[in-house]
Amino acid sequence: MRALRKGLKLVVVDPRKTELAEKAVLWLPLKPGTNVPLANGIAYVILKEGLYRKDFIEARTENFEAYANYILSEWPLERAERMTGIRREHIEHLAHLYARAEKALIFWGLGVTEHRSGSQGAMAMANLALLCGHVGRPGTGAMPLRGQNNVQGACDMGALPYTLPGYQKMADPLVRKKFQDIWGVPLPEKPGLTETMMYKEALEGRFKALYVVGYDVAMTHGNLNRVHEALSRLDLLVVQDIFWPKVADFAHVVLPSACLFEKDGTTDNGERRVQRIRKLIDPPGEAWPDWKIIAEVSKRLGYEMPYQSARDIFEEMRRIMPSFSGITYERLEERSLCWPVPDEDHPGTELMFQERFSRDSGKAFFAIPKHWGPEDKTDTDYPFVLITGRRLQHYNCGSMTRRVEGLLELLPEELVEINPKDARKLRIRERDPIKIVTHRGEVTARAHITTRVRPGIIFMDFHFEDPLTNILTSPGIDTEVHTPEYKVAAAKIVKL
Amino acid sequence: MKLWVNEQEITATPGQTLLEALRAAGFEIPTLCHLPGAEEPPVPCGMCMVEVEGRGLVRSCVTPVEEGLKVFTDTEAVKEVRRKRLQGMVANHYGDCKAPCSIPCPGGLNIQGYIAFINRGEYASALSLIKEKLPLPATVGRICPRFCEPRCRRAIVDTPVAINHLKRFVADWGLEHGEPKPEIAPPTGKKVAIVGGGPAGLTAAYYLRLKGHEVTIFDAQDEPGGMPRWAIPDFKLSKEVLRKEVQGILNLGISFRPRKAWGRDFSLKDLFDEGFDAVFLAIGASKCRDHEVPGEEKTTSGLGLLFRLKKGEPLETPRKVLVMGGGYTAIDVARSLVRLGAEVTLLYPRSRMEMPAPQREIAEAEKEGVKLFLMAMPLKISQEKDLYRVLVARTRLSEPDKTKARKVVPVEGTEQELTFDLVVRAWGEEPFTDFSGFGEIEAQLATNPKGMLKVSPSGATNIPGVWAGGDFVSGPKTVIQAVASARRAAEDIHRYLLGEQKAKKGAVSVKFDFNRGRRMEEMDVDFYADFPTLPRERPAELPPEARKDNFSEVLATFTEEQARKEAERCLKCGCLGFHKCTFRDLLIRENVAATKGRKRAKYKVETDHLFIEVDSNKCVGCYRCVRVCNYGGIELTIFDQGSPEEEIHFTFTEDCVSCGACVDVCPTGALTRKDSTIPFTRSEAKELRTVCPYCGTGCNLIARVKNGSILEMTAAEGPPNYGDLCVKGRFGYTFYRHPERLKKPLLRKSREEAFREVPWEEALDFVAERLREIKEKYGPETIGVLCSARTTNEDTYVAQKFARAVIGSHNVDNPARV
Repeated sequence: MRALRKGLKLVVVDPRKTELAEKAVLWLPLKPGTNVPLANGIAYVILKEGLYRKDFIEARTENFEAYANYILSEWPLERAERMTGIRREHIEHLAHLYARAEKALIFWGLGVTEHRSGSQGAMAMANLALLCGHVGRPGTGAMPLRGQNNVQGACDMGALPYTLPGYQKMADPLVRKKFQDIWGVPLPEKPGLTETMMYKEALEGRFKALYVVGYDVAMTHGNLNRVHEALSRLDLLVVQDIFWPKVADFAHVVLPSACLFEKDGTTDNGERRVQRIRKLIDPPGEAWPDWKIIAEVSKRLGYEMPYQSARDIFEEMRRIMPSFSGITYERLEERSLCWPVPDEDHPGTELMFQERFSRDSGKAFFAIPKHWGPEDKTDTDYPFVLITGRRLQHYNCGSMTRRVEGLLELLPEELVEINPKDARKLRIRERDPIKIVTHRGEVTARAHITTRVRPGIIFMDFHFEDPLTNILTSPGIDTEVHTPEYKVAAAKIVKL
Repeated sequence: MKLWVNEQEITATPGQTLLEALRAAGFEIPTLCHLPGAEEPPVPCGMCMVEVEGRGLVRSCVTPVEEGLKVFTDTEAVKEVRRKRLQGMVANHYGDCKAPCSIPCPGGLNIQGYIAFINRGEYASALSLIKEKLPLPATVGRICPRFCEPRCRRAIVDTPVAINHLKRFVADWGLEHGEPKPEIAPPTGKKVAIVGGGPAGLTAAYYLRLKGHEVTIFDAQDEPGGMPRWAIPDFKLSKEVLRKEVQGILNLGISFRPRKAWGRDFSLKDLFDEGFDAVFLAIGASKCRDHEVPGEEKTTSGLGLLFRLKKGEPLETPRKVLVMGGGYTAIDVARSLVRLGAEVTLLYPRSRMEMPAPQREIAEAEKEGVKLFLMAMPLKISQEKDLYRVLVARTRLSEPDKTKARKVVPVEGTEQELTFDLVVRAWGEEPFTDFSGFGEIEAQLATNPKGMLKVSPSGATNIPGVWAGGDFVSGPKTVIQAVASARRAAEDIHRYLLGEQKAKKGAVSVKFDFNRGRRMEEMDVDFYADFPTLPRERPAELPPEARKDNFSEVLATFTEEQARKEAERCLKCGCLGFHKCTFRDLLIRENVAATKGRKRAKYKVETDHLFIEVDSNKCVGCYRCVRVCNYGGIELTIFDQGSPEEEIHFTFTEDCVSCGACVDVCPTGALTRKDSTIPFTRSEAKELRTVCPYCGTGCNLIARVKNGSILEMTAAEGPPNYGDLCVKGRFGYTFYRHPERLKKPLLRKSREEAFREVPWEEALDFVAERLREIKEKYGPETIGVLCSARTTNEDTYVAQKFARAVIGSHNVDNPARV
């Protein structure tokens, strides 16, 4: 807000008129699922008009020629205009604003990544930053905004099936050796399954047990009926949480854990900023910190994890992750540090890629961003595009915010946003109960008539246990990393 | 650049304001409306005034520094301006800085605070707050005369809040459910002897033990507890409750030596020879007072009777009894004897209103069948075999003498002789004074003309290392008064033991405390008319007929439901902005009294906002709320600001996003947070920095923590949030204390079964066993671990290590895609 007052130009690309869109100089309500066409359209303008930074591209990037040819031949502006539904003048305007700005930042949220071509969309935007050299200087860059407190940390800690803590490569023999030395056991050979694939395997009877820490998959995962089915097929489901989550309905064991106010540790925010979490109060009843529960199970399986405190764990993390080796609890006492911090004298890295990119060549690679349309297509039976997302007042599955009196009162129920034009056609009035139906299932909620959504689009959040919005969401997943396609589902509305 | 400040040279950077330069140079310049980076308020507060040579008074916050400026701070002219402005604000201020109930409480309990904790269901926190001042809440919760309740402002609405019953509820909750042990400081190596294990002795022992000293209690009786153990009848306070409560104190690591009487078994010198570094004398007041009635020596001591009852000695039940006196002992004896089947007459020379016992208890005695014989005195008592003859006369009060006291005189011609099986004297007690012969140190103890020990306000005697407190020093008083004196003494003893100087008591007097009126007739009845009436909860009570022939407690403890309802009745008089009030700091700094504050409200308290309460009666017109708001969420207009006709119009607009920035910059209690219901001072709460548990921005929070509870969350300066927060960060933290938190491991062996609570061992063994089976049968690749986006890095690191190193699979993922 302060930056806006000082004259920062804000452009918002979102099919829905968000609170932020209201403050923007330009709001582009593109058709859901057309991020790649828009980004490529912008690239087309930049390339066509020669607005790119040749010096930067030559010095710092690879594969420019192939990318430029691809864009210029396959992504003429008319195509982007047709697919996104955004007038070409606006695309040109945005391209000019971005390319001619001295400094420009691109942020994206899950509206980019939760599509079949989500990874492609992220790469398409990274390309724009490379084209204009908006990387590696203060006030530039292209980054996702993180929705959850420590989702960055969860990735940084290697809670991913295809990468080790600190994004170290599983295939690297030196890395494998280091892990074996520190952990005392060799790393598994076979690559792991993503969450989405775990459910697929479970449904096919090849996956037997799941241990879930503080994550209500039975509420927040896409295409929920399938997830519920998979969960009930498991031979063992263990859940650790602070409140009874929906996933506990399918569990064998539910273990009480301490919340972030009741334990010590660190979290990483979206800027890679490692910050200290401090214990403010004792956990209720017999609740334990999550790490302690796991360490106790581990001990019973014959593997000692003799940590006495979060700090002990952090010391091991420092040894195993080069990007954390310079971070200590003492240093965090004074201030937070952005990783990588290679040694204890290093000031932390608030700005990445100033001279090198993290590839062997040190150069960034222009990807060729391809577009796949959403899995679900609207038709005469299912004429609406259902977008799901979050609202300010609640957080994710809502287990915490629904238990704060004032927040629940601010937004006590799921409201389906629908454009006044559509509402009139369907004879729906404000707060009428309606049924929302997709190919997967149906839920009932009340309607909220607003121009935040354009005609043909409806918006729902997933903060409430009833309705369980994710029953409706698409089975589509990102082609690379299997993110469910939360942002596009073909739906119909039945007035009740 | 150089400036002269109070004839002292300082350097400044061009572009700075005078205020910045002066503060950077270490000069203390007060401000009230100052808000760096925000626009100017319509009427600046004028607190930051300084005098600049050649220019007169200027506002330092808007005056740029210039080479060679000669500046004078805190000159008479500056102070005069400030005083005038502050007086204007005081004249428009209406509120209670501190809750009126806590002021008469001898123990100084934060009553509003513990009631608020009870209201939030945080019983352990309520108890922890009480125990900061009172280690015997179950005892006091049963027998306190309640100095607080008559001052409760709810009396203006309907009836006072049942403060003492609430205390009793939460104390009993603690005895039943257990409570977190208080933190004990590391051992100091110092030893303290406590002589007397009554309320004062136990209190001193408790607080000294918490400070890490080694504490030993010496008591003449078999058991600790003092008067509450040996004199207060079970129908008021059961032995079991007292025992449990006292045991909780001894369990902190306090030694108890029974049957050790001072003067009989040891002297002060013996204690010092044994290695004690300090002694606290608290042997109470158990000497029966007499009334100079001829033949009185033939009667039975009331206190002695109570002692025998509490010791469980069999008593021959007399049929017809006369109890003489009107205090606690008299009433307690009368009520006890009624329970033993006696016909009891209680004789008191004055009227019912003049009886020292609480009216409540007198009424109970009557209900139970005690006959009151008031305005009558015994003239002579004689005994013939088993029969007492008592000559009684009716009384009247004499004309006031020089000291305005009115004496009791018998009315001539009203004498009559009555006969009784037993006559009990219960004229009250006084402390034992014959201690000078106990030893060489005792002989040097200074006494007052009555022969009682002479002590300082903190209980120190004239002998270094010897303190005294409780009834022994004050004469018979209430338990809460004994507790208060012992706590003061304990603080003093602690300082003495560690060789610390007496803490400088801030000269902050009550004159800086605003109040809405001290006397009923001062109060603005219209202001209180807005509070809905709520009937006072009454604890269950044994009907009088069920009290015969047993000593069961007459009053029950509130049920949880009753306690929550009763706590809801608190009007929260004490200012909930007290900890952030810089206005009060200014009044103290400039010595402007709050006594001229308004006694009539101008505005209603607005409670419509979901997170913020607005009391314009406390607005000082600094406009910080409007100026800090990024969203146009507040409209504020003040007409005739600073004058007696001042009129404030404050509203939240629909653009308010409830981020709460306005509340935290408000320098008074005009804006307060609905989540922050415990009044506290800045120095009481611990400030801890942590990170918001919600989105990935990772905003830094300052948590104020006390009594195992988070009192409020505010924004920290610096990256990434630079002092800003959203509604979730500032107000959304309270989820942690929601009653639906999971508190125990739950297990079911198959999905057909219901979950049951199990010990950790069983749950962990089950999980490990099943994981081992599945791994052996199907292989590690059939097991997966899903990590959280809401736990710490350390938690996640351990979880993925568990998957990779223990299970042996890379099947580990997290909610990055949700």
